[in-house]
Amino acid sequence: MRQQGTNKGDDRISGIPARGVLLLLALAIWVAPGSAALAAERLRMSTTTSTENSGLLRVLLPPFEAKFGCKMDVIAVGTGKSLKLGETGDVDLVFVHARSLEDKFVAAGFGVNRRDVMYNDFVILGSTDDPAGVRGAGSATDAFARIAAAGARFVSRGDESGTHQKEKELWKAAGTTPRGKWYLEAGQGMGEVIRMATEMRGYTLADRGTYIAYRKKTDLVILRQGDKGLWNPYGIIAVNPARHPHVKYGLAIKFIEFVTGEEGRGIIANFNVDGEPLFFPSSREGP
Amino acid sequence: MAPIFRLESVTRHYGERLALEIPELVIEEGGIRSLSGPNGSGKSTLLGILAFLSPPTSGVLYYDGKRVEWKERSLVALRREVTLLHQSPYLFEGSVHANIAFGLGIRGMRGEEKHGRIEESLETVGLGGFGHRRARALSGGETQRVALARALALAPRVLLLDEPLANVDRDSAVVIRAVIAGLPARGTTVIMTTHDPDVPGCSNGEVIRLEEGRLSRSRDEVATGRT
Amino acid sequence: MDYLVESLKVSLSLILALDPELCQAVRTSLYVSAWSVVLASLMGIPIGLAVGLTEFPFKRSVITLLNSMMAVPTVLIGLLVYGFVSRQGPFGGLGLLFTPAAIIIGDALLATPIVANLALSSVRGANTAILPTAMTLGGTRFQSVLRLLSEIRFGIMAAVISGFGRVVSEVGVAMMLGGNILGSTRTMTTVIALETSKGEFALGIALGLILMAVALAVNIVFQILQRR
Repeated sequence: MRQQGTNKGDDRISGIPARGVLLLLALAIWVAPGSAALAAERLRMSTTTSTENSGLLRVLLPPFEAKFGCKMDVIAVGTGKSLKLGETGDVDLVFVHARSLEDKFVAAGFGVNRRDVMYNDFVILGSTDDPAGVRGAGSATDAFARIAAAGARFVSRGDESGTHQKEKELWKAAGTTPRGKWYLEAGQGMGEVIRMATEMRGYTLADRGTYIAYRKKTDLVILRQGDKGLWNPYGIIAVNPARHPHVKYGLAIKFIEFVTGEEGRGIIANFNVDGEPLFFPSSREGP
Repeated sequence: MAPIFRLESVTRHYGERLALEIPELVIEEGGIRSLSGPNGSGKSTLLGILAFLSPPTSGVLYYDGKRVEWKERSLVALRREVTLLHQSPYLFEGSVHANIAFGLGIRGMRGEEKHGRIEESLETVGLGGFGHRRARALSGGETQRVALARALALAPRVLLLDEPLANVDRDSAVVIRAVIAGLPARGTTVIMTTHDPDVPGCSNGEVIRLEEGRLSRSRDEVATGRT
Repeated sequence: MDYLVESLKVSLSLILALDPELCQAVRTSLYVSAWSVVLASLMGIPIGLAVGLTEFPFKRSVITLLNSMMAVPTVLIGLLVYGFVSRQGPFGGLGLLFTPAAIIIGDALLATPIVANLALSSVRGANTAILPTAMTLGGTRFQSVLRLLSEIRFGIMAAVISGFGRVVSEVGVAMMLGGNILGSTRTMTTVIALETSKGEFALGIALGLILMAVALAVNIVFQILQRR
């Protein structure tokens, strides 16, 4: 007579580790996502930290989700990483801000149907004592040249994000390659970089949206703004279904139509933090 | 009676050390055999082989006339006929009842039949009503008796006992001696190691003597020297 | 001091209000941790038993390897699994990246060496008489190993709980493989990372306290279970 397993019943010794595992299984099943959440079609979008951290997506996505009975999965990373995720087909669309990279992305056939969505601008932040004299600069480029010349501390995103791309453009225009103890590459999101620059009394380049959202948590002030070179347009691109057949192209296009359409533009225009608008919808023909 | 065990050219090494070397040994079925010899003479090693727990390094063991193949599949059936009671028996976590139930449950015994067998074997060792006790909280003598009851419940054809009277109190020793003496009548062959001269079986000359892993020729009375 | 008091207030108000996003993050954390520990136990306990109970060449090296695997950084495991489950990777077709399943895979790999090592130590610390006793009472090798497992259940449970503690508190795998998606793969730890990045320290600390409370609760439940 061969029995698998040990005796049961009143014997009170049995596979007790199994009981722990069973409990874990029960926990796993109990907290499992509801079937409704699993059933809904999911649209996956990679975007920059600025759109999510500012809170814009919290008001922009729910009306779309309700309208089309789907669920948006947002992966908030830098622009560089966002585009990479589109390139590998791990997302269905990308919502980013680095025009030159976006154009390359489309030209290489990774994405289709690029549309301008909205814009805001970059600002140069620094402490009020302004050791490099950025306030007196004639342009954003001049401001960067002054920071480099003074060797004043500058905290860079250093993460290939849209902001980092813009920053590199500005250094290039200023005719300098930032290098030295004064130049710190954080490799983190905008919020962390503002926080680090605050702690270190350094300069940094930030998008206005994130700065406004963080204004209460930093004593850095805007030292330079308004230049054409500080323009920050956001674009949205569907991942090319010819390259990645599994992407939800139809739904992605619906989302693109939604955010660039009447309703989406209204939401973007009305979105504000403490009464201050963070983003401006692009005009149909481009800003 | 037919031999229950026959060993031919059996050796057992632990690494380089030779622990046991038996050119030939025949053990008849029935009665009580005692296995004597100083500590380290290979008694426990021999019991381990006879219990089908550890194979010899070389040589052949016959059980009930059949050559033992040291393959797990066939050993399970053999072990259900031969049970070894270790010198310091290990009782499982849980109740005394559960300890005895383990071997019975494995043999497919269930319900009332199993319960009755457990009670009966506990009464045999004088521990009736101990079923609910926590096994690992018992005294040395009680532990030895429960372990004996656990083996008796299985009604083995051969019971191997390794120093069953070491580390037990006087009362337990009396009970254990009596139980062992009654085993042959119940159809169980007993092979035991002991230093105790008062054990039944030792007196009738049925002694296997080991010294430094080898059988010693003499068949005279048990050496009482403790080492 | 004010800061901590403030955090506690925020934390309590979030818990009392049963903030849906917070609850969702707690649920997600428990869900992925529980499943990954189940998987890690199914792999780790047999590994620990096998290594502890059998002799084979290079056993010492295998044990050393198991030990060093406990120190593998979470981001490395994240990266490795990422490579496999991304659309470019060999299992890309399953679309696992940025789903709870991806975190479960990563966390299971993270916890397996821990469960295996601690299971191995309990096997090696177990009374050597257990297996021969179970076998001489008629148990098959499998039944005897189950018996052994039952005898060392405290050690095994400790192994499982340690595995759970590791995965419920880690952020690298959850962030890389889950993508911190609101309502889907946002766990307690990735929320903490996110809130910190947004400068919301109070909320981060509040969540940290909740995380500790959840870990404590899980441990207490297991303790009670063991006592019984």
